[in-house]
Amino acid sequence: MSALTFTLKGSLDQRLNVSSLNVDHLKDLDIAAIKVMKLPLGNRSIALQDLFSVEGNDPTEIIFRGKTHKLDKIGQGMTSGLIRVEGDAGSYLGMHMKGGEIRVKGSVDAYGACEMKNGLILIEGHAGDFLGAALPGNKKGMAGGMVHVKGNVGARAGDHMRRGLLVIDGDTGDYLGSRMTAGTIAVLGRTGRYLGYAMGRGTLLLATPPQEILPTFQDCGSHTLGFIPLLLKSLKALDTPLLGMSDQLKRVRRYAGDMCGLGKGEILVATN
Amino acid sequence: MLMKLTGGKVYDPAHGIDGEVRDLYIREGRIIAHPHGEAVSVDQEFDCRGKVIMSGAIDMHTHIGGGKVTIARNLLPEDHRNDPVARSGLKRAGAGHSASSTLTTGYRYAEMGYTAGFEPAVLPINARQAHMEMADVPLLDVGGYVMLGSDDFFLRLLSSGVDQEVINDYVAWTVHSSQCIGLKVVNPGGISAFKFNQRSLDLDEQHQYYGVTPRGILQSLTRAVHELGIPHPLHVHGCNLGVPGNIETTLNTISGVEGLPMHLTHIQFHSYGTEGDRKFSSGAAKIAEALNKNPNITVDVGQILFGQTVTASGDSMRQYANHGHAHPNKWVCMDIECDAGCGVVPFKYRDQNFVNALQWCIGLEIFLLAEDPWRIFLTTDHPNGAPFTTYPHLIRLLMDKTFRNDRLASISPDAAALSTLGSIDREYSLYEIAIMTRAGAARLLGLHDRGHLGAGAAADITVYTEQDDKEAMFTRPDYVFKDGELIVRKGEVVKIVWGNLHTVRPEFDRAGIERRLKPYFDRYHTMAMDNFVIRDWEIEDDGRSQILVHPCRGQS
Repeated sequence: MSALTFTLKGSLDQRLNVSSLNVDHLKDLDIAAIKVMKLPLGNRSIALQDLFSVEGNDPTEIIFRGKTHKLDKIGQGMTSGLIRVEGDAGSYLGMHMKGGEIRVKGSVDAYGACEMKNGLILIEGHAGDFLGAALPGNKKGMAGGMVHVKGNVGARAGDHMRRGLLVIDGDTGDYLGSRMTAGTIAVLGRTGRYLGYAMGRGTLLLATPPQEILPTFQDCGSHTLGFIPLLLKSLKALDTPLLGMSDQLKRVRRYAGDMCGLGKGEILVATN
Repeated sequence: MLMKLTGGKVYDPAHGIDGEVRDLYIREGRIIAHPHGEAVSVDQEFDCRGKVIMSGAIDMHTHIGGGKVTIARNLLPEDHRNDPVARSGLKRAGAGHSASSTLTTGYRYAEMGYTAGFEPAVLPINARQAHMEMADVPLLDVGGYVMLGSDDFFLRLLSSGVDQEVINDYVAWTVHSSQCIGLKVVNPGGISAFKFNQRSLDLDEQHQYYGVTPRGILQSLTRAVHELGIPHPLHVHGCNLGVPGNIETTLNTISGVEGLPMHLTHIQFHSYGTEGDRKFSSGAAKIAEALNKNPNITVDVGQILFGQTVTASGDSMRQYANHGHAHPNKWVCMDIECDAGCGVVPFKYRDQNFVNALQWCIGLEIFLLAEDPWRIFLTTDHPNGAPFTTYPHLIRLLMDKTFRNDRLASISPDAAALSTLGSIDREYSLYEIAIMTRAGAARLLGLHDRGHLGAGAAADITVYTEQDDKEAMFTRPDYVFKDGELIVRKGEVVKIVWGNLHTVRPEFDRAGIERRLKPYFDRYHTMAMDNFVIRDWEIEDDGRSQILVHPCRGQS
């Protein structure tokens, strides 16, 4: 058995929805059946083999290769298995994901890990807006699992997030953790404006002091928090500089907010 | 071109025809008398032997256009996201379960055999947008009821004690300007009172600024509609929608109009008692009794059916009171140009919820206890009780006692125990369904050439295969004709045509009322009076819709 590998034959003019290419949909299909599957491309549908060359036969490990930046909904709703993307990925990567693992070598577009339930997503490059957020109009964002981005992320990461963990090694856009219900976001780099806007509960852990804190957050002073060593321990499977920062995070300054709303959220800033 | 529908069982209550086998002839979009004696050369024949023929169905209360539908769409992207409809055949793509896109609305109606739908809450200031949206609904004739009763100009007139004549002129001017076929009042005075911080307004309670009562507003407007000769009686969404105990208000409303014609809409939401441990009970028996006793009253039911939907109403006072029930938890209540209001609250009716289950029973009880099918109409107040796509299911509930009782056994047992539904044996006949959904609706609205199959009628015709499963029967007609064109074959759209706009134009003293209105518009309104008036060319110039003016009483 070798990894089931989909290699794009050329570059795509339109967005391609590959939500059906995960182990849950493919485990009972033979290679011939997979090759003739229809995939939605723009506003029409097209046979898989017209776009991809297919190798391997093990759907528990799927590899996307080639100019993959227009592949949307990679790993949507998957419950197990591993998907590797050897280039960039499109929007909605890991949407509604319930288990398993996605590894992306490049960057991903908007709505990565949106409404994710469980599992692990590792992104070596950058992530677009609304990482771990809720779909437009929905009230519940990411509800479990873990996402690690080595690069930067766009605006509104963790919007409406309810549970789970985002680890961002780079910088973030504006409105980080907006409207969060719960969950944890750890950021090593710089953060944008309107940090924690309308946050109800949840934790933003910042290694770099933010440029500004909204006036609706209350400074609660410096604390030694017992949960931070436990948090770092839970990240030991990740390749992130955060693991080596236990000294800097020994004491954190705590800001509580957003007082415009429930106000039980917190921004924790490393003090050393 | 002469078309013949051969050998179908015809249900045409307007002519007392109850399931007779007849041939129908269509020429140039109209039904014609049997061409006896002539050398008949039929160009196209449809074999309808063993099939049921009715005129095209008319939904006389369905929210398919105007600001609140747009707000519902904006509020609920998931309603569209979760129910996408791909392009297929002649049909363009669309979406939406409860607040579907205009095109999808038209296709779905036509595929169920409906050929007309009436938007019941056209705000005068939003009428242009409502008409544009309705004009974008294919395959369906449309019309609107224009909303007055909480607007500043009317309340000023009423509180200053002007002659009824002036109010009549204002009503007629508004019906003309907004190109509508009827007049609607929503929570009379209540939408305005809400803005003065009143949170309820019962029938005899005074508006704290204008000093008028809902009873006074109803009397004035029912009289105006009657004296202007508008065929459709005042379309009333009463006070206290959804409040336990509102049955008393509804009964008082019926007696309050003193015998003038009045249509009470979504009566199910206004038929609640306060008996029982949970202080919520069915008032259906009393409402049906009042309906049976008062021939001046007509109702449509506003049946609820279980599932996710969205409630969209002009009644911002009651929508605000209900916003805590929003599912998913988001809602909109807003003022519209100081003239009316709007509330959009998504809602999920659950069969195991006591209140929802009893609401379901109450609607069905009203249907089954009302004796005269000419005065009760089949609606779900789309989308407020359920999307219109549930009509075939509702028809089966009415026509099939076993099916109804099976459903009754599956809902909240506490609610089922409080309802008399299980003891009602009545089953609607096809003839009665044809009255409720066609002939009665056309008569109520004054559509002289719709809702029947006599010579001269527009050839809006639906042909079904008779089946024991009435839900299946009414879901998928064999043929639907719109103005003589075959638009649906075997439940699939085969031709796209555009419907007409039905209106009335009562006579009135334009110069007199415009003398009062002009300075009012100049001083208070966001648009000039001349721009407020929707001209015929705005509706007809795109070559799709045609305005059909139906005569008022006394007009030829």
